[in-house]
Amino acid sequence: MSEYTVVGQKVARVDAVEKVTGAAQYGADVHPPGMLYGKIVRSKHAHANIRSIDTSEAEKLPGVRAIVTQDDVPSGRRVFATDKVLYLGEPLAAVAATDPDVAEEAAELVKIEYEVLPVVQDVMEAIQPSAPRLHGDATKDGPNRRGISTQIRRLSRDKENDHSDEISRLEAALEEYPDEVYYNISAESHSEAGDVEKGFAESDIVVEDTYVIPRVHQTYMEPHVSVASADSSGKITVWASTQGPFAIRSGIAGTLGIPLTQINVIGTTMGGGFGGRFGVIITHIPAVLLSQKTGRPVRVQMTREEEFIDGRPAPGCVIKIKTGATNEGHILAREALAFWDSGSVSGASIGSTIRVRGVYKIPNLKVDAYGVHTNKSGTAAYRAPGAPQAIFAGESQLDEIAERIGMDPVKFRLMNMREEGDLVPAGAEEPKVGYKETLEAVADAAGWWDREAEENQGWGVAVGDWTNGCGPGGVYVSVHEDGSVRIFHGSMDITGTDTMISQIIAEILTVPYGNVTIRRGDTDSAPYSTGSGGSVVTFTMGNTAKLAAEDAHQRILELASERLNMNVDNLELKEGAVHVVSADPPKSISLGELGAYSLSTTGGPIVGKGSFARQPSTPALAAQIAKVEVDPGTGRTRVLKLIASQDVGYAINPMAVEGQIEGGTVQGYAWAMMEEMQYGENGNVNPGFVDYRVPTSADLPTVESVIVEVPAPNGPYGAKGVGEPPITPTLATMANAVKDAIGVRVTELPIKPEKVVQALKSNGH
Amino acid sequence: MKGFEFFEPTTLAEASQLFAQEHAQLLAGGTDLVIGMKALTETPQSVISLQKIPGLDGITTEGDSISIGAMTKVREVELSSDIQNHHTALAEGASEIGSVQIRNLATIGGNIAHASPAADTVAGLLVADAQVDIASADGERSVAIDELFTGPGQTVLAPGEIITRFRLPSPASGSHYIKHKIREVMDLAFIGVAAAVNLDNGTITDARIGLAAVAPTPIRATEAENLLRGNELTAELLQQAGEAAAAVASPISDLRCSAEHRKEMVDVLTRRTLQEAVARA
Repeated sequence: MSEYTVVGQKVARVDAVEKVTGAAQYGADVHPPGMLYGKIVRSKHAHANIRSIDTSEAEKLPGVRAIVTQDDVPSGRRVFATDKVLYLGEPLAAVAATDPDVAEEAAELVKIEYEVLPVVQDVMEAIQPSAPRLHGDATKDGPNRRGISTQIRRLSRDKENDHSDEISRLEAALEEYPDEVYYNISAESHSEAGDVEKGFAESDIVVEDTYVIPRVHQTYMEPHVSVASADSSGKITVWASTQGPFAIRSGIAGTLGIPLTQINVIGTTMGGGFGGRFGVIITHIPAVLLSQKTGRPVRVQMTREEEFIDGRPAPGCVIKIKTGATNEGHILAREALAFWDSGSVSGASIGSTIRVRGVYKIPNLKVDAYGVHTNKSGTAAYRAPGAPQAIFAGESQLDEIAERIGMDPVKFRLMNMREEGDLVPAGAEEPKVGYKETLEAVADAAGWWDREAEENQGWGVAVGDWTNGCGPGGVYVSVHEDGSVRIFHGSMDITGTDTMISQIIAEILTVPYGNVTIRRGDTDSAPYSTGSGGSVVTFTMGNTAKLAAEDAHQRILELASERLNMNVDNLELKEGAVHVVSADPPKSISLGELGAYSLSTTGGPIVGKGSFARQPSTPALAAQIAKVEVDPGTGRTRVLKLIASQDVGYAINPMAVEGQIEGGTVQGYAWAMMEEMQYGENGNVNPGFVDYRVPTSADLPTVESVIVEVPAPNGPYGAKGVGEPPITPTLATMANAVKDAIGVRVTELPIKPEKVVQALKSNGH
Repeated sequence: MKGFEFFEPTTLAEASQLFAQEHAQLLAGGTDLVIGMKALTETPQSVISLQKIPGLDGITTEGDSISIGAMTKVREVELSSDIQNHHTALAEGASEIGSVQIRNLATIGGNIAHASPAADTVAGLLVADAQVDIASADGERSVAIDELFTGPGQTVLAPGEIITRFRLPSPASGSHYIKHKIREVMDLAFIGVAAAVNLDNGTITDARIGLAAVAPTPIRATEAENLLRGNELTAELLQQAGEAAAAVASPISDLRCSAEHRKEMVDVLTRRTLQEAVARA
């Protein structure tokens, strides 16, 4: 039995009632008196020079109150395009009107004169010399040229010796790689450990493949929305559906040159985020500018179509990957070259390419990654940014090797998995991790070892790793004169984190969960809090909450010591009262009595404070197994079983943890099988839920969750971040299961029926 | 959404007169029209609701024939035991539209009058040999369902003409509809295939094959039907029928899938629907 009474329990969420009754206030529910409706004027072309922007007709439309353009942005930071647009839907101006239909009509009346330019939307085309350039002619070297150029630079620096012959030889060698002069590169990232060439030479089996992963949208239920209100003193209030109000405050301050204390950001109940709701995005600045100009509150709310053309989705990528292993199943080398579609700006989590190393002992590793500009909107985080893509390539190829060696895919993984003390390729030593336990748990739960498959059925396994982030946070906890407990903080509730914070504080103060209430403040009132994402909240706010509760606990004992005239060492807080240890007859004083007493003491009310910023985190593994059936006639795939295990360190609320495992797994399934932002000659062609398919409950059986607990030394109660890991292996899990069912691999996601039929044909069906 | 005038006539004659005006649109269930108006792909100046006109909804059976009012909810078509038993392909098609909530609003008349080649009830109506009753201020007429469509979103309906009823003659003894899609529910048809057959001692006396989303209009695969009539269903005949049906398909490539895939699926699904229709006969 657990030694705890509130943590570790499946308690109902603190916001359950307001969510199910519809009382929760989302961004679009905010409607201050006199509010105007904002609409963003968007480019009709994916790539064009802007000759002119004429707002005069729009301004004349009755009901229009203001129009803003880049001229209204004091810092000059790009909020609206001016001379060139780089993607369909790029903002050019914003309109505020008394009615949303008028705003929409006015947006249409803004006259833009375009000089249309050629468009590039495929990363492999964008790096070619023939591709249209988004940001000039600069080039970057590919992996081989880069190696040679580095040597040339090193030799050139050595002025004491003559290396001219060697330099000439190297310069000639550069010419052997004309295809490695890449255009439209937004960023690059390189890692290396050992010597991959040597590793491949020593391998018995070397497999090389190219994997293609599409750009997908986070598809949070609530489209982006901001309401801004500038008062006559210049004070700005912003209601935002966001994962991090404090980052919005600093973003607005920086862009508009306003002091932090003149901006208050109020986070509204979030209709999903998944990484897409971080910092200042799309709607915030236009809303503030329009409110400043009109002196009235302004709401800017995106439609679902706007979400698809001008959201910040997860990047697609092309990953060329090569792995070498011995006949006995030891992986010796892995090399990856990735091109990430970062759209019109840089970004795209290219550093995550390193995750092709997985959780395996790979002595020789080389990873080269490039971000590539295309005529699409920029990208942002999506649940374990970059990991699902890289792990899809790595874990798919692992199965190809296991098959060629003739090894069971689970045994092959277990044999190569790292343990405590093993060196992470291009990294440090592993702390205590639960990789093998987690994979074994899912294999046992799925019945992997005696699995059966009828014709056209197949089983797939994959694992994905992720380490939660952490960041600053602060929590206050007050104990009132009736013994109730109130928590105050500034962190956005994501996935039930307010519930987790409440559980921890109830546990430490030994009060029933129902006696604890929690309030989130705005940026004017609450202590600073990091954004709710990167699986940070349980780790950061859990630790912060613990510190705050322990601080209150200390004050409670001191008060009791005073009141009972006993030494603190003889006192114990349990079941909501302070007890004198081993007193006969028993002697105690309740929290309510202490709360009331505190008000007349020198020290004052019971207020605990917790402040925390960072501690090392511990990696977590998600391991999944799917059983599928493929219809060889139509290419449709049906999932028969989907089992997901995860090392969560410690499940503070097992129900919330299961929800996270199920949600992440389903999102991974969707990315593997149906989700895909599609692009035609002039931008996104499926900007809506008719042709951007997210699964419904009819598409999947119940995801079976298996919780594994290998405690994290610095996590609250040993907890690790749970939000991100479950999406990381599912793309590969599904692809490996389909491969097992049909005997041929689909390397380009999503695995739509047509691709399965084509793959079967290529395999002689 | 743009502004518009809203009418709720109580007679067909009144509705027809209003509908004969320019930039007028009929409102039945609204599940297509309202979405189009919000997206500004439809900008009618007048919207004429058919909901207050009596006698346009309901399913009635008379002997072997069944009549379905144009304003009958798709959900009612799906759940009608007469349609499930005698025109199974149509009930199956109705069950494929959107969600239950959508099907409780959408009407069969709207599904057909919208003239999408991918409409889920159309293949079932084609293989039921449905007659479409049409009313206008000038009177009434009737056309066969396979003569109703002229192109995507286009029909033979003249200004002011309103579909009032679908009449299904004596039923085939077995029918089946399959929709090719990605998602289990709430997906649009990549293609749709329906087959209906009559059997006499194992010999196919009549066969009808309806294809959706494989041509600018929903079509019948008459070549394949002719191959089947008078024969027993053998593996060889099934293959020939599938190929013949695929041969009349002239699909497009779009973001959902390629024309080639659609053609291949016509072949595969024609064989499957035929096999199931014969098994049910």
